[in-house]
Amino acid sequence: MMENVYKPDLMEVIEVKQHTVDVKSVKIKFRDPERAARFSYEVGQFGMFSLFGMGESTFNICSSSNWKDHIEFCFRKTGRVTEAFWQIDEGDTIGFRGPYGNSYPMEEWEGKNLIFIGGGIAMPPIRCAVWYALESREKYGNITVVYGARTTKDLVFEDELDQWAEYKDVRVIRCVDPGGETPEWTYEVGLVPNVLRDAQIPADNTVALVIGPPIMIKFTLPVLDQMGIAPASIYSSLENRMKCGVGKCGRCNCGPVYVCKEGPIFSFEQLSKLPSDF
Amino acid sequence: MSEIISREALLRAVDEWLKQGVPVLGPSRINDAFVAYAPLASSDALALDGYIHPRNSIKEAVFPKHEKIYAYHIKGSGVELEDPERSVAKQIVLAARPCDAAALPILDHVFNWDFKDAFYNARRAATTVVTLACTEHDAQCFCTSVGLGPAAENGSDAMLLPLGDGTFEVRCFTDKGRELFAGKTESSGQAAKVPAGPPERLDVGPITEFLKDSFDNPIWNELTLRCLGCGACAYECPTCHCFDIVDEGNAAGGYRAKNWDSCQFEMFTMHASGHNPRARQAQRQRQRVMHKFSIYPQKFGEVLCTGCGNCTRNCPVSLGILNTLMDLAAHLDTTGAK
Repeated sequence: MMENVYKPDLMEVIEVKQHTVDVKSVKIKFRDPERAARFSYEVGQFGMFSLFGMGESTFNICSSSNWKDHIEFCFRKTGRVTEAFWQIDEGDTIGFRGPYGNSYPMEEWEGKNLIFIGGGIAMPPIRCAVWYALESREKYGNITVVYGARTTKDLVFEDELDQWAEYKDVRVIRCVDPGGETPEWTYEVGLVPNVLRDAQIPADNTVALVIGPPIMIKFTLPVLDQMGIAPASIYSSLENRMKCGVGKCGRCNCGPVYVCKEGPIFSFEQLSKLPSDF
Repeated sequence: MSEIISREALLRAVDEWLKQGVPVLGPSRINDAFVAYAPLASSDALALDGYIHPRNSIKEAVFPKHEKIYAYHIKGSGVELEDPERSVAKQIVLAARPCDAAALPILDHVFNWDFKDAFYNARRAATTVVTLACTEHDAQCFCTSVGLGPAAENGSDAMLLPLGDGTFEVRCFTDKGRELFAGKTESSGQAAKVPAGPPERLDVGPITEFLKDSFDNPIWNELTLRCLGCGACAYECPTCHCFDIVDEGNAAGGYRAKNWDSCQFEMFTMHASGHNPRARQAQRQRQRVMHKFSIYPQKFGEVLCTGCGNCTRNCPVSLGILNTLMDLAAHLDTTGAK
C-alpha cells in the first residue's frame, strides 16, 4: 500500500508565544518519538500545518534546523485556519506535513557577508536562517539584519533581535514606518528601502535575503542594485498559495516552476526568468 | 481474423459484471438532451449511440469530485487519524470516448512525480477502461489536432469498434482488457475500418511556441474578456486535475477531503495577505491555456489536452480551449508574432 502523502503527523504543542496583537509563534514536537528521530529538514523549507476540523495552512518552519527537539512556526491571524490556531494552547494536538520545498543555500553562502532584509510578518522565514548562520558563526562574514514593521507594536521576534546583536560582527537595524514610532522608540524611523540605503552597509562578497510585502521588495531591489549586489546573490521566498505541498493540486506555479517543489526559495536571477505569477 | 461481440452479447456482459458486483461506469441518457458517464444500474441504462460526447469525462473514476483522504477523531486534547478504506474495488469504465481514456496516461505523470498519490493510483490500478471508437464528430472535436484520433488507443485496455451492423470488433490492448472479454467474443473475418476523425483544425506547434513567451501579451485580455469564471470547462475536462483540500466535520471528528477545484476561481490563488497573482479572469484563462499547452508539456512532455471539446460544449459563452487556440492561431497569422 502506497503511503498516504496527505495524512499529517500528529504534533504536540509545547509552547505558544504572542508577538503582536495578531501574530503568534508555536513550538511543536512529534507525538511519535520514532517519527521525530527520522525527521530532519533544512532552513527555508516549509510545512503544511493543520487543525483538525478547520483546515490546513502553509507556513515556513521558522526554527533553526540545528534544533532537534522541536520545530516552530509563526502566523498572523488572518483567516479561518489561523483564527483557529490563535486558540491553541500547550498540550493541544495539531497536524504537520513536511518538510517540503527547497531550502536556503546555506553552504553556498559560507564565507560571504549576509544581509537579511525583512518586513513585518516576514521575520520568521529570515529568523531560521539568522540562527542557523549564528550557530556556525565562523563560517559566515559580517551579518546585518534590517527589519522593519509598520509600528513598534508589529515587530515579530523582537527579543531575539537583541540576542543577535550581541554576536560578533552582527549589526541589527530595526525600523518602523513613519508615524509608527512612539516617544520611547530609539531605533530608526523610515521605510525599509530608505533605511537600508542610509545604513551604508559594505556590500562586497555579499548575499542578501529579502522577504516581505511585494511593495517593500519592489523598492528594496534597486537599493541592493546600487549597493552592487547582483540579482544572483539576492534571494527571496515566494508565498504562492498552496494546498497539497507536493506538486499535485495545481495552483502555486509560476510558469513551469511549481513553487512547492522547486521553490519556495529563489534568487532574483531565477525569478527574472519566470513569469511574474507571484 | 478479428474478435467481435454483438450488441446483445455486450449488454449481457454488462449485466453479468454488475451481477458479480463490479461497478460499471458508462454513457447514460440522463434526459432527452443530456448524456453523461454515470454508474449503470443495468445494461438498459447504457447509451451506445445518438450523441457525440458525454457532458462529463471519465476522470471521476480515478479522481473523484470529493474524496476522503483521512478521518480524524478528537478525544480530549488527543487526536486519532484513520486512513479511509483504501482497498479499491475493481471497476469497469465502458464505452468511454478514446479522448477521455487518453487523459489517463497523461494524468499519471502529475500524480506520480516524486510524491505519489495513493488514491489516484489505487483507483487507476482497479479500473479497466473499454473505449468505444468514434464514428461521428462535431465542430468541437479536435482530437486529431493534438495527436489523437477517433480510435486512439492511449489509456484503453480494450476498444470496441462499431462494424455498422450492430456488432463491434473488440481489440484488447492489455491483460486487463483481455481478461474482461475472455470467452465473450467470437472470431470473425470482419475488421472494423478505423473511422476518419475530425479534420485537423489547427497546428498546435506554433501556438505552443508562442505561449512560451506570451505571459504579458495583451491578447489574453481580448480573448477572454467574456469568460464568466464559472469553472465548467475544468470540471468537464478529462485532464484538469487541480484540487482543494478541505475539512468536513466538527470539534468531535470528521474527515479531510480532496475536492475538485478550478484555476478559474478567484480564491484559487489568493494569498492570505489579500494579494492575488491571478486577480483578473484573463490571468486565470491564461493559466488554463498555458498549463495545458506550455507548462505541462515542459514538465511532462505531453500536452494536457485530448481534444475532446467538452470545455467548449459546456461553456456558457463559447470559449473553451479550441476556440481560444483558434483565436490565438488567427492572432499569430495576422500579427506574425513568433
